[in-house]
Amino acid sequence: METNMATTDQTDEAVPAAQAPGTHHSQFEMFWKEFRRNTLSLVGSAIILTMLLTALFAPFLAPHDPTTQFEAPDGEHNPMPMGTEMLVENDAGEIVGTTTAYLGTDHHGRDILSRIIYGLRTLMTVSLGVVGFAMALGVTAGAIAGYYRNTWVDEIIMRFMDILFSFPSLILAIAVLGVLGVGSTEYGSFTLPNIVKVIAVIGVVYIPSFARVMRGSVLKEMEEDYIDAAKSLGASDRHILVKDIAVNTLPTVVVQGTLYMGTAVLASAALSFLGLGIQPPNASLGLMLSNARGYLYSGEWWYSVFPGLVIVVTILGFNLLGDGLRDALDPRNDGGER
Amino acid sequence: MSRFVLKRLLLSIPVLLGVSVVVFALVHLAPGGPVRVMLGPLSNEELVRQIRLEMGLNRPLYVQYGMWVFDALQGDFGVSWTVQQGTPVTDIIVERIPLTVELSILSMITAVLIAIPAGIISAVRKDKPADHAARIAALSGISIPDFWLGIILIMIFAVQFSFPWATGGWTPPWVDPVANLQQLFLPVITLGTAYSALIARMMRSEMLDTLSQDYVKTARAMGIGAREIVLKDASKNALIPVVTVIGVGLGQLMNGAILTETVFNLPGIGKLLILAIDRRDYRIIQALILFIASVFVFANLAVDVLYAYLDPRIRHDGN
Repeated sequence: METNMATTDQTDEAVPAAQAPGTHHSQFEMFWKEFRRNTLSLVGSAIILTMLLTALFAPFLAPHDPTTQFEAPDGEHNPMPMGTEMLVENDAGEIVGTTTAYLGTDHHGRDILSRIIYGLRTLMTVSLGVVGFAMALGVTAGAIAGYYRNTWVDEIIMRFMDILFSFPSLILAIAVLGVLGVGSTEYGSFTLPNIVKVIAVIGVVYIPSFARVMRGSVLKEMEEDYIDAAKSLGASDRHILVKDIAVNTLPTVVVQGTLYMGTAVLASAALSFLGLGIQPPNASLGLMLSNARGYLYSGEWWYSVFPGLVIVVTILGFNLLGDGLRDALDPRNDGGER
Repeated sequence: MSRFVLKRLLLSIPVLLGVSVVVFALVHLAPGGPVRVMLGPLSNEELVRQIRLEMGLNRPLYVQYGMWVFDALQGDFGVSWTVQQGTPVTDIIVERIPLTVELSILSMITAVLIAIPAGIISAVRKDKPADHAARIAALSGISIPDFWLGIILIMIFAVQFSFPWATGGWTPPWVDPVANLQQLFLPVITLGTAYSALIARMMRSEMLDTLSQDYVKTARAMGIGAREIVLKDASKNALIPVVTVIGVGLGQLMNGAILTETVFNLPGIGKLLILAIDRRDYRIIQALILFIASVFVFANLAVDVLYAYLDPRIRHDGN
């Protein structure tokens, strides 16, 4: 799943460090000029914007409730093909009208288009959560390790990161979910919601990548004169870390985060596909594909094709955007695409 | 060189110990411990107490951990609880290794055979149609989830064209090598594609870096043919970082193997892991995770050593 792993082993070289304060505005303008020149990055941005808006406005965009089970008309059965006029029932079970299933229905007669839209919402929530979670913990750990470089603090943090890094990403998530069980977990009176659990188990393996990038950036930043100046002025460690170093290294980390979004989407969908992620009846694209496998040989192709396509386009969008951001920030860039 | 290898080997010991602690802690610190993992949330207290006593789970955790590691080092992970009741876990795992190893090696070979030439052509013909085609293919390759690609391939080859070998399953190569390769054809394509896309992207970028270096320019100025430079010097130098990507990508290969085995119904390590989770066989889960993480650690070690062999600067810095 590490589609962007190429960047992780290069740690601090992967993304160029942020520029010194004061030049921020012109740096951003240069970056934007570079980014705009690349058609593919703009396509990526457009895809991601569309996907985010769709996820955000899912309740308004979805033609039906994702859990409503429609009746098939005479001569049809579930999963119904594209364009079928499904029967709408009232609470008493009487047929009161028909409505179109544009992308067909699944094996329970639920509208696939609506489930894809809600599934995209779930996928985006989980993936953004994964990257946010890993970023928050990784950046904190990396910043502390970098600031207290070559001390026991640094040593303990980075060795722990090595251990986390020893697990292929999905394997650790599968293991934890396998042991804790799928669905929400009860700790006495405290209930850990399933979605939080899924986010944490996928996110935990990305923590080392952020920690390494952050540590590298902090080490580079520590060489700057202004840190010595702040220290001689009596600024506290915390102040220097949070106010000076963090602010300057943040753009680096944000780009790193974008590069990891594609991987996070892939991992979230994969976990759902294995039945360990989001649980039914919630809509999830991976779960749809898993269910659709049972209908391959009977020819219900629409059930597997459309949810998969949405996953592919989302990942492609994030990869295009990530590549574009990295290239635009890369000082080695000669102006053309690399 | 041997000092470098030894040093790297010693460094992996604490990592492996850490991995074993994480794997052990996963099961034992889960709410309710191993018995709850096995029985699920619906079990009565009396039964739980009885099983805990029988399995020695009331001893201090460090004693249990010590015993587990001691047994594990001798390849003893106890017997299976639900997957194949009473069969030693090690036997169950060993039986499934050949398939996963075969699938991974064939996929890796396929990936490298596609990716290295594609990366080189892409770099040499930068911004020409061949480069654009190769880059779009590589970008699609890393964006298509292997489980979906597998489904689509089954749909085309098994459903549309009804090829009998496309429906999944596995015949060991020592029983029928032809059937074995036929059955693995689609899984290998599925698993190899994403991996090759990753390597091709890296190869292109490294090749571009190498081609812009002074010695290449000098060689060109001396009248040495472009073909000769690319094939003899530049590719060799660009390959060094690619070795690392092949290594780092191993994690992806392992993740992909689990998904591919699930899609094509192949009885390998990945399928076993999912089955063990489904049946709450915690001993198999524990053993498999430890096994997979160890393979990953050693594979990375092998890559580091290979890297040092290819690039002398690394091993001298390391010493």
